[in-house]
Order: sequence, then structure tokens, then C-alpha cells
Amino acid sequence: MNKTIALAIALTFGLAAPAFAQQGPIKVGTIFPLSGGAGPDGQSVTNSVKLAIEQINEAGGLLGRKITLVSKDDESTPAVGVSRANEMIAEKVDVVIEGWNSPVTLAMQPIFARAGILDITAVSKSDLILAGESNPLAIRINSSNGFDAAVIAKYVVETLKAKTVSFLTQNDVYGNGFQTAVEAEFKKLNFAGQVVSTEKFAFKDTDFRVQLTNLKTTNPDAIIVTNSSNSSGLPAMVEQYRQADLKSPFVGAVGIMLPTVFKVAGDANNGVVSADIYFWNLPPFTSIPENMSFVAGFKKAYGVEPDKSAALGAAALQVWARAVEATKSLDRKTVAEAIRGKTIKGTVFGDATFLPNGQLQPRYVLFKVVDGKTAKLEPLPQN
Amino acid sequence: MTVLDSNSSRSMPPLRAAAIVIFVALGFLLPQLLGGTPVAYSTLTTIAIFAVMCYGVDIVLSYLGEVSLGHTLFWAVGGYAAANLSVKYGLNGWGTAVATIALCIAAAAFLGAVTLRTREFVFSLVTYAAAVVTYEIAFNWDAIGGSDGIVGISALKLPFGFATYVGATQEDLWPVAFALLLLTLAFIARFRRSNLGTRALMVQMNPALATSLGIDQRKVRLAVFMISAPITGLAGWLYAYQRAYVGPDMFETYFLVMMLTAVVLVGRRILLGPLISTAILIIQQNLFSLGGDWNKIVLGSVLTLVLIFWPAGLVGLFRRFRKTTA
Repeated sequence: MNKTIALAIALTFGLAAPAFAQQGPIKVGTIFPLSGGAGPDGQSVTNSVKLAIEQINEAGGLLGRKITLVSKDDESTPAVGVSRANEMIAEKVDVVIEGWNSPVTLAMQPIFARAGILDITAVSKSDLILAGESNPLAIRINSSNGFDAAVIAKYVVETLKAKTVSFLTQNDVYGNGFQTAVEAEFKKLNFAGQVVSTEKFAFKDTDFRVQLTNLKTTNPDAIIVTNSSNSSGLPAMVEQYRQADLKSPFVGAVGIMLPTVFKVAGDANNGVVSADIYFWNLPPFTSIPENMSFVAGFKKAYGVEPDKSAALGAAALQVWARAVEATKSLDRKTVAEAIRGKTIKGTVFGDATFLPNGQLQPRYVLFKVVDGKTAKLEPLPQN
Repeated sequence: MTVLDSNSSRSMPPLRAAAIVIFVALGFLLPQLLGGTPVAYSTLTTIAIFAVMCYGVDIVLSYLGEVSLGHTLFWAVGGYAAANLSVKYGLNGWGTAVATIALCIAAAAFLGAVTLRTREFVFSLVTYAAAVVTYEIAFNWDAIGGSDGIVGISALKLPFGFATYVGATQEDLWPVAFALLLLTLAFIARFRRSNLGTRALMVQMNPALATSLGIDQRKVRLAVFMISAPITGLAGWLYAYQRAYVGPDMFETYFLVMMLTAVVLVGRRILLGPLISTAILIIQQNLFSLGGDWNKIVLGSVLTLVLIFWPAGLVGLFRRFRKTTA
């Protein structure tokens, strides 16, 4: 009899204790640059996480609890990011969504891993983030350079059927890395043609006439361009490309055709081909209900359409929330294992499939610019 | 602690020695006294590391009267040495520390020799240029990490023959950071009374007298510069283990501004000055932050105001205030 009572008490306490612990809201942390040059971008990502949280709260919350947001500014500085990461740990958040700059992400990863806090990287692109050394349970939403290179290489080889290819490459880790990755993809695709020339320039350059004249002489079947200077370098390059009257198609690396390029260079962008992983108004995203409600909510709350980085922030939160719901757990390892190598339904990206290393499998939209003034794009078929 | 003890046994009055021992003990227990939370440990460890980083610049400013804008170079040398040698060759903490000291002295000997004839503005400019050039090399050279830096730095291991001290957590790193800070303070206290320290001061304050006494100014300048480098370097060495990631961001102005503010805020040639300034700066950033943009504006304004109105720092202001009221 006594034993039964003791057992009953033990059971009640055993069951009641975690139930008590689970009262109160679930805390989601975000660490993005909110000040300085990248401030507006970081604010947009933070806003979209906030919106995704509000949408879940309105639908009844997560595991029956409300979600609250703790937002912090990494100032694009790894040393500051580290301090903010330690503060997040002190606030006992259940998950952190972070990462605009790769070095900041790389500096924060080991700190969260040691503290046992789940950490999802939204935007930072470095390959080291998923290498498993600083965080064995890493998860990333943005596409990796390898996938970016594959989609461009495939378009040039299989769709354009180019025999001669030239590179117009930004001479730094980003540009050279992308070119190396595309050349590796060429090998995989048994590319029969050849790379006839490589023209290089510096990130800060705005005069590309020498390189473009050389390219005109070479006249390749495709020119693959990396240029991450979206407010000055790339618009200037597109203008000079038109003035030089080159006949070779301009194939831009993934993600370079940002709104500022259209704003500055306008019509000169017509005919540029590129690819990216999110467009709020292009298929297949227009047929994803989660995306449509996110776009409507974003426009209503912030007065603008969501761009790719906003979608990445919302997707990070949604992926985590679905995994928490499915596992009924907030434990770092349990939730991470429900995401890595698995498919999560119901995100702004539709069904989100993750590779075993935590990378979201990207689905690209290849496009051609049809009206640069209004940034009107025409999706291209992918075979 | 041993260094301080040996100091006290020689010349210090017992009362002063006892006060120092109590202060050291209190300092060591400070994270516990502040609640023993991980944030207390990590904040205080960071303050200790950054203070040591600033002491390198402090020596150059206080004893040569020059502003070095190139000490981020030595800070990065320490970080990169610790990261590369521990990740690629599995060196323990002693090995990477010795390498840091050697590399910093070599780099300082070179940079010091190049800047021997330069003074004031030109000296600052050349040291800054050196840091910019090194940054470009670190950013573009993949063999030492490139623009992504180096990840996967394992915990600090310091074997003592019979046992190995492992600094895996912030709590474990605190004693190491505290010991490094104490060593630095003891070293600087000793330096102030050393032959080189007094000569350096004479060269700065009265070069004509120094020359008439047969002091080789260039030798003194080079020696002081070479001594300052490994101090900042060892701070970078420990920072690499604390953060477990090293990248070209170690050259960032964030650290440079921290160093410059720390050495002018309280005042020159005040032993605890850089430590107090660093503590003020980090506590402001972490506990009383006004947001990224405002922090920079306030920090920049404070630096400018101090330099224009109270070049002798807060201590100078305090002295002036006392004089006028008295």
C-alpha cells in the first residue's frame, strides 16, 4: 500500500515537473546585423522571423505555448556576435536563428554548440559552416556555393549548349571560388567545349571596358559573371556591357541580381540570365499557400514585398517550429535530427528537404530579365 | 601570483604586499562574487584578454610617446599562430604560446626597424599600413585560413608534466586569462622601474639629455616596440582558444578602437589604467548598450573629447578638478 502511494507520488511528480517547467513562452533568439551597412538587411530578416512567429502564435502557438522573440545586433563584427551569443545563452533561449556574415556565424557556432543550444543559420554562405567542426548539428537555409555553381554550369552546358565559355570574375575569394566550382561542375557534366578566357577585376572597380573589349574579341557562346558589388560595380558593368554591344549571353552568378541593380541600371539589364532560390511572385512560390500568406502578412506589416533573405528568415523559423511540433521536444539534438536529412512540410519554400549535413536542398528559378526598369523576370525552363 | 610574491619579498613594505595579495584574491574570485554565471565568467575573461591586448599599445604610448595603429597585427599573429598550429600540427598551448612570442618579436623587430626614423604621425601611418597589408595577406591566403578563417580550434591544453590543464569552458579559461593579466601587470610594473623603462622615458621627455648621456635612442625605441608586441600577441593567442574561431576580423577597427580608447581614457602611465578602461568599455557594450550605431558614435565622441580637452585622461581631469576646488 505504502509502496503504491510512493509510486503514485513519484509518478505525479515525475510527470508534473516537466509540465511545470514547460509553462511560460518558448523563446526564439535572432542575431543579425541591425546597425551599420548591413543593418537594413538584418532588420528585414529579423522582421520576417517576427512575422512567422506572430503567424504561429495566432494559430494557437507551439506545443500549446506562445513564442516570444529575443532579437540582438551582431554589428557585422564577430567579436560582438560572440558577446551576443553568450547573452542569448544567459536568457535561456530555445533556438537561435542567426547569420548574415559568415565570419560572425563561424565565431558564434562553437559557443552555441558548447551550450547545447540549437542554432540555425539563415543566410551566411561559407562552406565551413556545415563542415561539422564548429557545430556538428549545423543547419543552413541559404543555398551553398556548390549548388549555385551547378545550376549555372548546367544552364550553360545543357541549355545554351555553349562550346566556348569565358569568365568575368571578381578577383577575390567569392569570385575565384565560384569560378573554380563552376569549372568542377563542367567536368562532372562532361563539358565538350572549352573555357577560352578569364577576365578579372577588383570588387571596387567600376570601369570594365578593357575586359569587355577583350571579351568582344573572343566572342564566346556564354560569359559567366560574378560581381557582388550590387550598388555600383554590377550596374556599371551591365551598362558597359550593352554599350560595348557584346553578342555573348550575360550569365550572372546566383543571387547577384538584387533590386539595386535594377534600380540603377534599368533597361540595360534586359536579357541578363541568372538564377536564385526565392521570388515572392514567381512560380513555384505563387502556388505555395504558406508563401502566399507570408507575402500578404509581410506586405501588410512592413509595406514592401519580401526578398530572398526575408524568406530565409521565415523558413528557418517555420522549419524549426514544424520539427518541434513533430518531435514534441525542444531538445537541441532531437530537433536537429528531425531536420537534418529529413523533409519538412509547410514552409515558405514548400516542402523543405535537408541533406544529411544540414544544408537545405535548394530549388532554383532560372530567369531572364525581360524589363529591367520594372525588374520583370521571365522564368526559364530547366531540364 | 608567484611573480608578485617575489616582488614583494624584495622591496615592498609588508602592508602593501598584503593589500596586493587581497586584491589579487578578490580579482580571482570576482566571477564567483558576481554570481558565478557563465556570462560573468565570459565577460570577465574577455575583459582580461582585451586588457592584456591593450597593454601592448599602452607601453608604446606611455614610454615612447607614439601611437601604434599596427598592434592589431600582433593580436592577429597570436590568434593565427594558436589556430593554425593547434589545428594543423596539434601543438599544445605552450607550443603555440612560444610560437606566438617568437613570431611577434620577429614581426616587431622588422616593423620597428622600418619605423626607427619615423616619429608621431608618420610612425602611426606606417604601423597602420603594416596592419592593412597583413590583413590583405591573411584575407587572401587560403593556406592560413583565407577570408573564411579557421574553425575547429580545440580546447586550450597546458600540460604541466604530471597533469594537463584543459580550458574547455569559459570557467576553465578564466584562471588562464587572469594569470596572463597578472603576469602582464607584474611585467609592466617591473618595466617601469627597469633600466629600459627609465631610458625610454628620458628619450621621450628629453631626447637631448638622453643623447648627452650616451643613450642610443634607436636601440631604446626598437627594444620597447619589440617588448610590446608579444604582450598583445599573447592576448590574441588566448582569444583564439576562447572563441574557437580565428578569421581576418582580428584586424578589424573594433579591436583597434578598443586599444586606442583603453590607453587614453584613464590616462597614461597608470598601471591599472588600460584594465579599468577596458572594463568600462566592455561593460558599457554588454550591459548598457545603446545599439550598434549609437555605441560607435558615443565611443568616437568620448575618444575625441578626451583627446581634445583632457589629453591626460580621466585622471588628468580629476587632478585639474581637485586643483581648481582646492
